[in-house]
Amino acid sequence: MRRHVIAAVAVWVVLTAIGETLALADLYPTVGSSEAEDFDRIFRILIVMGMPVFTFVIAVLFYCVIRFGSFGKPSEDGPAYRGAGLGPRVWLAVTGSLALTVMIFPGLTGLAELQPDKSGYGWGESNAELVVRVVGFRWSWTMEYADAGVTVSTAQGKELVLPVDTHVKFEIESTDVIHSFWIPAFRMKIDALPGRTTHMTVKTTALGRFEDDDAYRVQCAELCGLDHSTMTFPVRVVPRAEFEQWLQSQKPAATAQ
Amino acid sequence: MYALFSVASGLGTGLIGFYLGLGLVAIVRGLTGHDAYDEQVSITFGYVFGLIGWLMGVGMWGAWGREWFGLRTYWRKAPGWQRYFTFSPDHKVIGLQYLVTFIIVFLLAGLGAMLMRWELMESGMQLFNHDQYNAVMGLHGILMVAVAVAAVVGGLGNYFVPLMIGAEDMAFPRLNALTYWLIPPVAAMLLSTPFLGGIEHGWTAYPPLSVVTDSSQVLFGLAVITFGLTSILGGLNFIITIIYMRAPGLTWGKLPIFVWSMFVTSWMALLYTQGFAVALLMVLLDRIAGMSFFNAETGGDPLLYQHVFWFYSHPAVYIMVLPGFGIALEVISHFSRKPLFAYRYAVGGLLGILGLGGVVWAHHMFTSGMPNYLHGPFLVATEAISIPTGLVFLAALGTIWMGRLWLRTPMLFGLAVIFNFACGGVTGIFLADVPTDIHLQDTYFVVAHFHYTIVGGEIFGLFAGIYYWFPKMTGRMYNEKLAQLHFWWMFISFNVTFFVMHWPGIQGMNRRIADYPESLENVNLFVSISAFLLGASFIVFVYNMVYSWIRGPVAEANPWAARTIEWQIPSPPPVENFPEPPLVKGHPYDYGVPGSVHAVFPGAATLPAGGGGGQ
Repeated sequence: MRRHVIAAVAVWVVLTAIGETLALADLYPTVGSSEAEDFDRIFRILIVMGMPVFTFVIAVLFYCVIRFGSFGKPSEDGPAYRGAGLGPRVWLAVTGSLALTVMIFPGLTGLAELQPDKSGYGWGESNAELVVRVVGFRWSWTMEYADAGVTVSTAQGKELVLPVDTHVKFEIESTDVIHSFWIPAFRMKIDALPGRTTHMTVKTTALGRFEDDDAYRVQCAELCGLDHSTMTFPVRVVPRAEFEQWLQSQKPAATAQ
Repeated sequence: MYALFSVASGLGTGLIGFYLGLGLVAIVRGLTGHDAYDEQVSITFGYVFGLIGWLMGVGMWGAWGREWFGLRTYWRKAPGWQRYFTFSPDHKVIGLQYLVTFIIVFLLAGLGAMLMRWELMESGMQLFNHDQYNAVMGLHGILMVAVAVAAVVGGLGNYFVPLMIGAEDMAFPRLNALTYWLIPPVAAMLLSTPFLGGIEHGWTAYPPLSVVTDSSQVLFGLAVITFGLTSILGGLNFIITIIYMRAPGLTWGKLPIFVWSMFVTSWMALLYTQGFAVALLMVLLDRIAGMSFFNAETGGDPLLYQHVFWFYSHPAVYIMVLPGFGIALEVISHFSRKPLFAYRYAVGGLLGILGLGGVVWAHHMFTSGMPNYLHGPFLVATEAISIPTGLVFLAALGTIWMGRLWLRTPMLFGLAVIFNFACGGVTGIFLADVPTDIHLQDTYFVVAHFHYTIVGGEIFGLFAGIYYWFPKMTGRMYNEKLAQLHFWWMFISFNVTFFVMHWPGIQGMNRRIADYPESLENVNLFVSISAFLLGASFIVFVYNMVYSWIRGPVAEANPWAARTIEWQIPSPPPVENFPEPPLVKGHPYDYGVPGSVHAVFPGAATLPAGGGGGQ
């Protein structure tokens, strides 16, 4: 028995060591916001925490199949352990505390960061340096820079341009069915609903543009019918000065000249 | 041809009912000054009358309907295989009706998956246009949900619960037959949707899309509501059967774990299924009566639907996976030749899932725009449900530890359930934690996760059960070499397909899309090829089943030397199941306990009693 326990634990340790390298791998799209940095970090933490649980099951399975398994009919019964003693209680205590841990960190702590305001509908601070009003409709988007009076769409401007190192708040609505506003480079999405304004605030941290990297795109992530898959919109993150220039160039007066 | 007559008369009276419904609508509309025909209203009423006509014609009139008018009832006595084509009260007939029907539906829906993977091999559109892709995707989803809900419960549950508890049938045999005969119209209607515009809203049918889309949505709604009725009535039947019809001596503490899992599943089905039905009924009323439950402009709320829908559809994943756990634990104990480890904790785990399963639904809605204060409680409840689920793992791992593992096909599939669900469970944490879910929600990470839990947890369990009980149901033995080939082929290609599929999700490939960015082309090609291999593995399965059922060698009475009651009687069991009612003495899993027997047949000296025990 003791020999088996030691051997199975060894298998577990080896499998865990191999599995944990997944936490080092770069599985993620381009990082374009501080929220994306958080996401990648928490994702890695969850791999580190979840891997030993997964490999524990796999290790016991593999060990038992290889060590105790046979293709012929067993000639005798196994030992009649019923598992009524301390074992199941220890198991409950361990799984219970694991669940509690994940619940609190990164679950509730992460949630508290995402939702400073408990009564709204969305992610992040409700105050921001730039507000973009987003309207989803089948099957495209319009983005309105409210303060500047500029609206971009597939006909006008053709891309969502954002300044770098800026808190940008998106206020999101839909005119017909439910859509979802998602920019993979920012790792954040929220649904666009008819009759309710949702929001998400991101802090852009890196320059990037759709032409070079398709993580810089708005993608509808809630099934909305026929052209759902192509309901995308290019995103470009530029230096602040360039953003101001671009915004000026998009003003109705400027385009009229 | 008796079978042909039965089905044809069902179709005939069904058609009469359908046109009766259309006529009634036409009369009422005509009298009130509307056009006589309105597609959605007419289909709805025609369907209701047609469904009743179908049931009556297929045999329910003689077996049940006549009684309502004081007439003598009768059962159609069909010879041989033809009894599977009529309204039959025998739970074993009904079990096989369910099982074969849903295997066929499973293969058709799987074909849909193959077509989608063909389209997704390359970026851009090749095989389909967007509309066709959405239709196939929605159909694959709803058909597979139906398979997952009913194949194990309706098929193996119906067949084996009465046998394992020593009952001669289910508590309500006619109700049982009714639940099965509601299925063919459901399947026919769902399969016809691609030819009537296609359901473009997926199986979840979120409004406002499902309210504004074409009228194949009406067929979808009616089919799912009918299917919900099957699930609720079936659940009720199982609950009553398990409470009242257990053999003398079969206390709750001695109940086989598969029966326990069916008991818990049935409570889930009974308590929650109406959520889906109500949600779709509200969509239907929005469409045909202008109720505007979900129209924000006239005071409705689109999010309301999602709460009502997930109130069922989250518990539904436990309706799907708990029977899979039940079968896995069942075969793991028999094939490890050991008592089921921590049996009471495993039962507690199942009951714990029943308790918590109803309060986690909004974790499907973390990015839906629901009020912020709701996220915390649902995050906590969702993480908490991993604790009772962990007890199922404890039972499985504790049982195989130091066991005498007999690696026949049922055991391999049973162990695969544990392997796959471990992966599906761990990836679930990423989706239960809001900070990671807000990126992963509605991506291929989710697709991979739920295929790991439902296919990996339940469909592998279904195959474990089919191979385990094949000799019992047919009296013949399947080909072990082909079965092992099927297992390894399916297990490896399944894991390769869905493990890799997590990655495009993280990279930014959302689900339910006909097209995706070019940068994800290589990984999608890889997943597609692997999925084709997975699909091909079922050819081996079908060949093995069909051939062995017809030509396979006659099976031994108790080929697995199992102790439970169903293995102590002839294969296939006689119509009345037990010539003498069994008397339960000991625990079903007491392998290695000297002198212990599970059940004896006091009246029949010739029958083997207890059995198993590794002799």
